[in-house]
Amino acid sequence: MIISFFPILVVDVIGSVLMVVIALFCLYKARILRAIDPDNAVFLYMLWIATGFTVFSVSRSFGHILRQFLILTSNSETWSSISSFSGSVNTVSFMLVGLITLFFNQSWNINEKILSGRKRLEDTHIKLVDLNQTLEHKVIERTERMTSSEHKSRRIFEQSLDTIVVIDETFNIAEINPAGVALTGYKKEEMLQKKMGLKDFLSQSSEWDRIRSILETHEYILNDETDFLRADNSQVRVLITGGVDYGAFGCGKTFHFIIKNINDKKQMEQQIAQADKLAALGELSAGVAHEINNPLGIILGFTQLMLKEESGFEEDLKTIEKHVKNCKTVVSDLLSFSRKGSLVKSRVDVTKVVYDVIKFLANHTDFRNVEIRMALSEEESLIILGNEQELAQVVINLIINARHAVDKKGIIEVLTEKNDKQQILILVKDNGTGIRKKYFSRIFDPFFTTKPAGQGTGLGLSVGYGIIRRHGGDITVRNRKEKGAAFIISLPIVSPDAPEDDLV
Amino acid sequence: MNPNYQHSIYQILQLPLKFVSAMAVAIVLISPQTAQAIQLHASSEGIITHQMGHLFFLLSMVALIFTISGKNLNKQKGWRLIQYSAFFFTLWNLDTITAHFIDNQIHAVHIENISLTQIRVVAQNGSSILSWFYYVLKLDHLLCVPAMFFLYRGLSSLVKEQKQIAIKEDV
Repeated sequence: MIISFFPILVVDVIGSVLMVVIALFCLYKARILRAIDPDNAVFLYMLWIATGFTVFSVSRSFGHILRQFLILTSNSETWSSISSFSGSVNTVSFMLVGLITLFFNQSWNINEKILSGRKRLEDTHIKLVDLNQTLEHKVIERTERMTSSEHKSRRIFEQSLDTIVVIDETFNIAEINPAGVALTGYKKEEMLQKKMGLKDFLSQSSEWDRIRSILETHEYILNDETDFLRADNSQVRVLITGGVDYGAFGCGKTFHFIIKNINDKKQMEQQIAQADKLAALGELSAGVAHEINNPLGIILGFTQLMLKEESGFEEDLKTIEKHVKNCKTVVSDLLSFSRKGSLVKSRVDVTKVVYDVIKFLANHTDFRNVEIRMALSEEESLIILGNEQELAQVVINLIINARHAVDKKGIIEVLTEKNDKQQILILVKDNGTGIRKKYFSRIFDPFFTTKPAGQGTGLGLSVGYGIIRRHGGDITVRNRKEKGAAFIISLPIVSPDAPEDDLV
Repeated sequence: MNPNYQHSIYQILQLPLKFVSAMAVAIVLISPQTAQAIQLHASSEGIITHQMGHLFFLLSMVALIFTISGKNLNKQKGWRLIQYSAFFFTLWNLDTITAHFIDNQIHAVHIENISLTQIRVVAQNGSSILSWFYYVLKLDHLLCVPAMFFLYRGLSSLVKEQKQIAIKEDV
């Protein structure tokens, strides 16, 4: 059968060229695929396949084109001699392609495992990142909370007006706040260096044993009152509350105390109690004085009438008259103390009154060996509304008492000044023996005296107290740090420009 | 690169080598010849080897078709086109195996060049059907070129798909 060779030639040549061209394009695409995801085993496999096909196409196309060329150029014999080589190469190339193709399934499965592993790894990574972020957020949040809490605690510790002190298990101070430094009077560094403890501040050493015993028994102490001895040896009444902290996070056992200074409160309570007591005594004294004053007046009147006539009992009647007058003086003093007496008020220059009293007493023989120092305010506005004579009497009483305290030889200081509360202060200080603690609560009581019997009525201070209270003021007493006692009179100041009518 | 991936890829690359090694060992073990013997080969061995190569290529393409279907990859355009490619290569292999069988093995047909434009297809039994059949078989590029083209299109589709995935991941 004779047939046209042309279709075979065309298909063979063009087909061979197309095979090579398309195979190269395949290789190009496979390389792109591999470049997109170098870790993908299937894409690597596709690159191998494309390479195999390219080798196959090139070898086969080369053989076919060469064959056609040699046949067309009448070199069939030449082709016969090389066709075996061409065919062999061609055989090897498509066997190679077939071989590679067989491993598709394995490649795919391996890739699946890789992808699955990668997915799990990514999921785990995401979870880890999420956990890490959550952890970081929690750490940040808790750090902020702790910082805030620590800041608040520090502020409470630093700003507290009560003493906060931390004692370690050897009972030495580990930490103390500024209020504690102010209360004790010691510097913080000094307390830490000297390893001071709570026991070093207690006025009595037995108090520490008591407090420690309570702590060991109950592991806390609540509102326990005791006296602190400050660095300057002054005493302060304090209220102690504390407990045991067994520590956390490896911290040792500590004791935490809050110590409240109740000195002022105690003093105020004592003053209120004193005032109440004196007020009650005043009421009692006024009643008694009123009841006694009238019979005394009758006795004195009749006695004086009998003295006008001769009776032979003149000496006896004079004795009666003298003692009745003494009784009336006492009754009058009692009435002054009880504020029941009349009071004519006017403007009184306190500085002038004090100055006149000192001038008067300084010339007295009892004050010959006593140095009276004056530190009177030079302000002209130390004006009060009151009774000049009564005020002078109070100052005289105080100075006379001071003279007794210094035992006729010593120094008495008298000061007048104005304080921030718009009050005039009159201070009478001495360097005598001071006042014993137990007498403080009774010193203004009527008939209370430390003098030997017969040397004092015990009415001087109580009368003075009554007068000052009637003037709207107050009188207090304290022992001086150095030596002696100090009486302090405080009186409400009056503006020197105020009209007279407004003062009554 | 992740060491695990490197290890896996290394495994893939080692597979052909293992296969060839295994085949070589198998051939040595089943060979009936003595160790120093040199076998004489007949000229027919070439065509048989070539045919076996085609058959191996064919089977591997069939295996690829079924593997792609078995993994449901033919739902993706790229793999479906590659499957078409394998199908056309399978046909091409059948074509060539048949052509080689007719002309090289049983010598039922041979071609004589009459001129530059004409050939004579000579069937031993004088069958014109066999001659025409053989003539058609000789146009085998009509199968392998589309096969290669489908492979190209399949790879292009996979590249496009991967680029879209990469863009989505970036977004």
